[in-house]
Amino acid sequence: MSYYFAMIGTRDNPIYEAELGTFKQGGDGTPKFSAEMKELNPFIIHSSLDIVEDLQWATNSLYLKIIDNYYGYYVSAYVTPTNIKFMLLHENKNEENIKQFFIEVNDLYLKTLLNPFYSVNDPIKSTMFDSKIKLLTKKYL
Amino acid sequence: MSKAVRTAADEIWKNRVEKINVELFTLTYGSVVSQLCRDLNNNYCEVNKQLEIMGENIGVRLIEDFLARTGAGRCNSFKETGEIISKVGFKIFLNIVPQVTNWTDNGKQFSLVFDENPLAEFVELPDDGKAVKELWYSNVLCGVLKGALQMVQLDVDVSFVSDVLRGHDQTEIKLRLIRYLKDEIPAGED
Amino acid sequence: MTIYSLYILNKAGGLIYQQDYNPGLLKLSANDYLVLAGTIHGVHAIASKITPFSLRDDSAAAGQSLLNTNSFLNHPLPVNYTSNKTGLNFIQTDFFNIYLFQSLTGIKFILVTSPNGVLSNNLTNAELILRKIYIIFSDYVMKNPFYNLEMPIRCELFDLKTTQLLKPV
Repeated sequence: MSYYFAMIGTRDNPIYEAELGTFKQGGDGTPKFSAEMKELNPFIIHSSLDIVEDLQWATNSLYLKIIDNYYGYYVSAYVTPTNIKFMLLHENKNEENIKQFFIEVNDLYLKTLLNPFYSVNDPIKSTMFDSKIKLLTKKYL
Repeated sequence: MSKAVRTAADEIWKNRVEKINVELFTLTYGSVVSQLCRDLNNNYCEVNKQLEIMGENIGVRLIEDFLARTGAGRCNSFKETGEIISKVGFKIFLNIVPQVTNWTDNGKQFSLVFDENPLAEFVELPDDGKAVKELWYSNVLCGVLKGALQMVQLDVDVSFVSDVLRGHDQTEIKLRLIRYLKDEIPAGED
Repeated sequence: MTIYSLYILNKAGGLIYQQDYNPGLLKLSANDYLVLAGTIHGVHAIASKITPFSLRDDSAAAGQSLLNTNSFLNHPLPVNYTSNKTGLNFIQTDFFNIYLFQSLTGIKFILVTSPNGVLSNNLTNAELILRKIYIIFSDYVMKNPFYNLEMPIRCELFDLKTTQLLKPV
């Protein structure tokens, strides 16, 4: 099972994206998307942005669960209070774990924000952030 | 002697010092540094210099506050100065106690090794190649030490040796005594 | 013991602050105050030079770093401490007493008070007051970012706090 994770900023610009593979059931953590899927992933996420913007006003909670479906691939979303959207493309419904994953990514994002050299909507290029995301994948996905 | 010094400093920190939120402090210092970088067009050498000048301004005023609060007298040797700086000075103002190490044989130079730096929590230097090689993020501390010691007639050269933000193992500041400013000692002291 | 006035001198001996706390005092001209300050600065320095060597050794031994001794831990404010061990400390006349405190950075605080009989009591009191003034100084003057060092003190808060401390209620 592979996952495609993206963080979208307030101007609909991607801040961070990563292809992650599952560690459960003997997976080794490498993402296995076919070549066509690799190209389509960002588009799928982008097209569901409209749905996110509608849904975020409908509910009080930050975690928006599964918002879209593309031929068997589910898209889940989480919106931070400052309108940064975390989107995850996944194949199996795993709501509880995905929710925990999003919450921990939120914590990581907060720490990035505390860096005085980082302004909102800047792309996140830090390798530390990358490795921490990989650790979180190991834990939850 | 150091045990008594340490307990005295703890007592001052607990009772006679007003405290603020550390994140507010870190964020304020962070925005100062990042704004300086933006204003000076990422000329990190110039940023270092400005941070040191700011620090000196702070230091000449901070020393009076330190002397008034602790009632400390003149130190008898540079070694004693080092101990007081690390155990009382840093404890009172930043609630950290750096280690005093690397004394040279003539006792005129030592290093302070920090295992934590409240100024630089959560900071990552920008990724433009130059910052990691040129910017000393906490350079204001060097200025503070230099300015404060200057007001008590010690001409000291203070500079960073290594910094965890730059990828080194530890944060270390080197203090080197250049000379005693004998002609400026207020009348009555020896 | 009532406090008549407070003078603060900078490192070079120039007057940077002067305040009277007793309305009955005669006012001198500004020039006279400056001359007075300079004179005290000079006399203080001369006094340190003419202190006999034997006294000087004693006071050097006694003046160890205060952090060594218990007095630092027990008293809320360190007492009996003045930075200069051999300079002028205290002048007593029939009409007034003068107490002098010099910090490690060269700033002198001079307190002029009414004359009084008991010596040691007054000395301790005066030292305590001078210490408190030093703390107020380091707070309201030093921490004012617009105050330039060694310049005359023009800080309202400092005036307010010292008047609160020194004016008899």
